[in-house]
Amino acid sequence: MRLPRLLSAVILSVGMAGCKASPPSNFEAKTVTFAKHHVFIGNKSQKNPLPNTPENWADGKEAFSHYCVACHGMDGQNTGVPFVDHISPPIPSLASEGVQRYTDGQLKWILDNGIWPSGMPGSKGTLSDDELWAIIIFLRHLPPAGSQGVPDMYTH
Amino acid sequence: MKTKFLLLLAIIGVVAAATFSTHMVRAQAAPRRIEVTAKRFAYDPGEITLKKGQPVVLVLKSADVAHGLRFRELNLNAKIDKGSAAELSFTPDKVGDYVGHCSVFCGSGHGEMTLTLHVVE
Repeated sequence: MRLPRLLSAVILSVGMAGCKASPPSNFEAKTVTFAKHHVFIGNKSQKNPLPNTPENWADGKEAFSHYCVACHGMDGQNTGVPFVDHISPPIPSLASEGVQRYTDGQLKWILDNGIWPSGMPGSKGTLSDDELWAIIIFLRHLPPAGSQGVPDMYTH
Repeated sequence: MKTKFLLLLAIIGVVAAATFSTHMVRAQAAPRRIEVTAKRFAYDPGEITLKKGQPVVLVLKSADVAHGLRFRELNLNAKIDKGSAAELSFTPDKVGDYVGHCSVFCGSGHGEMTLTLHVVE
């Protein structure tokens, strides 16, 4: 009776050890980034139909604030997100070169479909095409890091 | 006697003309009012056919949470608070189909909440 319990405990411990959220190695990060940019994320050539105007930027900021801010912060640079250091793969700053290097079409693809198996969900149907394209204008002109404060949901 | 009769006729004529012309102006200017109910995640009706040049008022109500209705191409936007009606008044001046979207985030199907206007001659 004791042996199966002990065996279960060992198997469980080994299994759980595999679930540890450790940051990816440099090699892993580079390989996955390359694969995302060149293989997995499509729609490279689609252009943003919305012009870059202050109104569209403000629409994008508003649409971004509905739930993107939960992981990306109000500034798109993770400010005030309490779990940002405890998640793997890590949540990138949207101002980073790795994100900004995507074309507008690729960013739209990511917003539509998400990136599996990271925590990034797809928003097709949850936000309209207009809102998603406006978010891309916002992403291209992010406010300075920390300038927008902490998302409301983390201030209570 | 004849003068009095003519005067009476003239007065009746003026009154009738005034009444008729007012009626005509009103008939021309009175906008068509259409009630639209928003409910997660659709509008009822979901499609409306309008005549080009005919003034219209969309009377917007919500059956659940706050919603909005925005036609980007027509530069129209309204917020529909729960429990109160909002109105969008306009006169379509171009034939075509216009798709309006909910402009107040209302949940998981918000992005698919649309109302189509068919503007015809």
